[in-house]
Amino acid sequence: MSAILQPAELPGATDTPHEGASGVRLAVRRFLRNRLAVAGLCVVAFFVLFCFVGPLVYSTDQTHTALQQVNLSPSGNHWLGTDAVGHDELGRLMYGGKVSLVVGLAAGVLATVIGTLWGATAGYAGGWIDAAMMRVVDAGIAIPALFILLVVSAITTPGLAGMILILGLVSWLVPSRLIRAETLSLKNRDYVLTLRAIGGTHARAILRHILPNSVSTIIVATTFQIADAILLVAYVSYLGLGVQPPSTDWGGMLAAGLNAAYSGYWWLILPPGLAIILVVWAFNAIGDGLRDAFDVRGRG
Amino acid sequence: MTAQPDGTATAAEPILELDDLGVVFTTESARVPAVRGVSLRVRPGETLALVGESGSGKSTVALAAMGLLSGNARVTGRAAVAGTDIVGADEAGLARLRGRTVSMVFQEPATALDPLTRVGGQISEVIRNHHDVTAQDAAARAVDLLRRVGIPEPERRASAYPFELSGGQRQRVVIAMAIANDPALLIADEPTTALDVTVQAEILDLLRRLAAETGTGVLLVTHNMGVVADFADRVAVMYQGRIVESGTVEDVLLHPTHDYTRRLLAAVPRLTVAPTGERRPAGEARTVTGRGPQDEGEPVGARPDGESDSTSGGGAAGEPVVELRDVSVVYGRGKRAVRALDGVSFVVRPGETLGLVGESGSGKSTAARVALGLIGPNAGTVSLFGTDLARTRGRARRALRAGIGVVLQDPVASLDARMTVGSCVAEPLLVHRREMSARDRRSRVEDVLEQVRLPRALARRAPGELSGGQRQRVSLARALVLEPRLLVADEPTSALDVSVQEAVLEVITELQDDLGFACLIVSHDLAVVQHFARRVAVMRAGRIEEQGPTGETLLHPETDYTRRLLAAAPVPDPVVQRARRTERLAALAAGRTEGGA
Amino acid sequence: MSTSTFLIRRVLQALAVVAIVTIVVFALLHALPGGPARGILGPQATAQQIARFNHEQGLDKPLPVQYFYYLDQLLHGDLGTSYTLNAPVSRLIGERLPKTLVLTVLSAVTGLLLAIPLGMWQAVRRNRPVDYVITTLSFIAYSTPVYFLGLVLVLVFSQVLPWFPSQAPQGDSLADVLSDPRALVLPVVAGAASMIAVFSRYMRAATLENLSEDYVRTARAGGARSRAILRGHVFRNSLTPVVAMLGYYVPVLFGGALVVEQLFNYPGMGLLFWSAAQASDYPVLLGCVLVIALATVVGTLLADIVQRVIDPRVKAGRA
Repeated sequence: MSAILQPAELPGATDTPHEGASGVRLAVRRFLRNRLAVAGLCVVAFFVLFCFVGPLVYSTDQTHTALQQVNLSPSGNHWLGTDAVGHDELGRLMYGGKVSLVVGLAAGVLATVIGTLWGATAGYAGGWIDAAMMRVVDAGIAIPALFILLVVSAITTPGLAGMILILGLVSWLVPSRLIRAETLSLKNRDYVLTLRAIGGTHARAILRHILPNSVSTIIVATTFQIADAILLVAYVSYLGLGVQPPSTDWGGMLAAGLNAAYSGYWWLILPPGLAIILVVWAFNAIGDGLRDAFDVRGRG
Repeated sequence: MTAQPDGTATAAEPILELDDLGVVFTTESARVPAVRGVSLRVRPGETLALVGESGSGKSTVALAAMGLLSGNARVTGRAAVAGTDIVGADEAGLARLRGRTVSMVFQEPATALDPLTRVGGQISEVIRNHHDVTAQDAAARAVDLLRRVGIPEPERRASAYPFELSGGQRQRVVIAMAIANDPALLIADEPTTALDVTVQAEILDLLRRLAAETGTGVLLVTHNMGVVADFADRVAVMYQGRIVESGTVEDVLLHPTHDYTRRLLAAVPRLTVAPTGERRPAGEARTVTGRGPQDEGEPVGARPDGESDSTSGGGAAGEPVVELRDVSVVYGRGKRAVRALDGVSFVVRPGETLGLVGESGSGKSTAARVALGLIGPNAGTVSLFGTDLARTRGRARRALRAGIGVVLQDPVASLDARMTVGSCVAEPLLVHRREMSARDRRSRVEDVLEQVRLPRALARRAPGELSGGQRQRVSLARALVLEPRLLVADEPTSALDVSVQEAVLEVITELQDDLGFACLIVSHDLAVVQHFARRVAVMRAGRIEEQGPTGETLLHPETDYTRRLLAAAPVPDPVVQRARRTERLAALAAGRTEGGA
Repeated sequence: MSTSTFLIRRVLQALAVVAIVTIVVFALLHALPGGPARGILGPQATAQQIARFNHEQGLDKPLPVQYFYYLDQLLHGDLGTSYTLNAPVSRLIGERLPKTLVLTVLSAVTGLLLAIPLGMWQAVRRNRPVDYVITTLSFIAYSTPVYFLGLVLVLVFSQVLPWFPSQAPQGDSLADVLSDPRALVLPVVAGAASMIAVFSRYMRAATLENLSEDYVRTARAGGARSRAILRGHVFRNSLTPVVAMLGYYVPVLFGGALVVEQLFNYPGMGLLFWSAAQASDYPVLLGCVLVIALATVVGTLLADIVQRVIDPRVKAGRA
């Protein structure tokens, strides 16, 4: 077993000035040194191009069915074959990807925004307000998101905007706890206490000090939320609650393809599945890299 | 404490030999040479103090002697303990040495012990690392060791968890672990820095006694000259990785030859102590008095005379700037209630400085926060500039606060690293003088930076680029930008190196003379308070033990506690310190209860 | 704080959470189109049936009053009646819940038994190739939808290599389900994968943090060897934050169970929920949500108690 790592305190720390590198530049350098994170960034870039620029290069018809060419295996005409109603699978992958990415990104950002507002308020207010707000969060976490989504689906079938809203409303709980912890620690920093002592208002403390110093935590949380949201969308569509045909997303493609699983139509399953795995992995890797670069605590 | 009081070495082999030791750390951005060409010897039975400020490399030397440096350290040269080479030794060999031939006592008792293992168990572990004994035997020996280091009720305490013990008690446990196997060399890295002054005295007594009993050699790493005077036989002064001076403790501390040593000694705030029965006029700042030969201390540069009777700024005329009357602050409820402050009353008059002095838990910081209005008292009244704080709200309250400036302890946390220095200093202006134009603000900021002896161009830099001393001065600039009538400073220099402390305190005093603000300074360091406060209040466990003019109170204390506090603070003059120590120990033996601090 | 104070406080907190959940569920019940009447009578009910139902059930009374009726019902164990299966929801859940519990507990235990050593190992071998490989695998496992993983498992281990059955044994009783342990392997693995990924990361992070703590240096200075320090000191200190996380992971386990049961046709509560969702059987849906929330709250409570046992500082209120 290797020797246990013991990072000793660096000498010369206290009274010598630090190097001139600003916080952001240092963080960017650290991020770029993380190979997995950079790989993740490349994957995301690739898929964004694939889904948004791809159809311009490789255009297919995703609206009308073509029943004379169902379930064709990959060939020169259809690089990934066709699906059960004759759509070109590769084109569908791009098309579905647009929905997955857009919904995932929007829902992830929405969840973080709501979570930040809730968590920062609870953390800054403290006392019984904090306790009450956190009990609500606990209650929300106690119910698995999938269950709520299924219940909601039994009531209505939302459009794209509706889906984003619902996913955001279901996912804001985790980031709220992270931001609350960050706020709690920041509000007791010396510079905040000094500000309060000389008569600064709460508003100033929050807007000028606490929020700017929380930015790195918020960014990391957003990245992880986007990853979670894309995964959640995939589940939702798999369960048949997502966008309706002829629209689709990767989860929906998987759901459609699963019926064909045992018939050996692998091209209907592997591409969407792999796409989901890759993109969600990529966002997770980026989030991990950002967290190390900014030196933030949070999701393990 | 040594086996040979005349200081000559024994004929025995040195227990620690460092020959041209060098250590270079490789970080993600640079290679930092921490130690350069250090050579020293420690002989059995003697104590060598390694002195220096932060960044001098002294802790690195100590860790290198144990082979405990981190993976990114490159060690060159030779380090040998009891003849065995450390540099390049394998982990198994080192593990055999550690805890047996050489052991270490660390700085932070709060984190040095495994929080989930009982104290007795941790001592037993060290024993069983090197001796094949049963668990019961080891446990029994652990209890013995606890008794030896002065922990009361050792059988019961052995099954306690670290968090159930006080800081001083935890340090005793660490010491017990260090002496468990009768090591030939004991390395103590700032063993008392994190402890209160009275506890520090007890721990030093303990270490001295143990070392004398067993003839152990001690390498004592510290930045505190008083501790050196109290404990060491020989001294080596380190600066930027090199030893600049070494010799016996009398030679180095009383007749330093190297320029750096002189500067270091000059910067240490000296506690003036009076011998019993003799009154010294309070105006003589630099006289060191006590039993034994009278010694004139080193004359120091332009040190302002902040002594008690000199009136700085306005006299005691006018209504008090801050007044606490019978203030109590209680945390928690019922049986578990903690009285942070219990019926505390004091007054700060215009232009004068009041020093709040005490150990940890005394309530001094709480009192400062009450004065600032950050904590509301459960009982009693707090008045700021003559207005009862409890009766003012909102805008009126904020207006009152415009007359206060605040400087806190931690230079890193005092400034928001995301703002430029200029923005940090300008913040009070944005809070209270919204009507000021940006240009006026900028010029006011630069003016005040100049006042604290910082270059005007610093306004554009980020706090991260500044040193600790510079940051504290920026904090001070921010505190003074509104020309306050009161400056509240909570341990303003405690986190700084000694040489930097002096500069900051000097600036505060000068500005007080110029601008005439009152000052409430909180400190655990009696010498600092003695030099800069006109009146002092000694606090303990939430109460004020005694208060009065600094000269009177600190030279002729009335309460036992204050006397003990003064007696325990070590003075950087070995001759005087030895005399004081004898006095103190005699006093303790006379009326003492066994204390596990 | 004393044990009794602690228990009282935690139980009160738990009750508060449960109360909020009941409010949420109640609100959902009333958010349904046509109101709870439709929910209970089903989509085929006529307007007259609904009106009569509303009157009988006192649904024309003000909402807060209805909420108290609802609470009263809950306290009597009445979760309503499923109209697709024509059985009291409480009975249905009572039959199905134990099976789901078997699945989730097995997944959790398997997951933890693998994740904890894995995380520690990763921490000790930080930034070596092994660490990167396991980290990447963890991320991928975490990023894979459970149903996809399940499908792959079935394809590989059921079709290509006929080692394990692809369907769970059917049957009403617990014994039936447990009759063929081999059939449980794939579902448990699918359920545990995500858990292994997440908890190995937690353990890695906690271990890394503890490795740089002062007490490790003190132990080394006393002559202890790396392995002994890891086993005797670091391990226990790293467990505490991981245990704290367990309570919050219960709803994730149930969510996973939902998908796994659907995929493997495992007759547990998840499958019940799934079928109910297809049929818009609201009483079942909402009853399940309530039960799961309750399970999570109990789980968090248990995790807190375990933490108290492991870490004496928590007991003293000074963690």
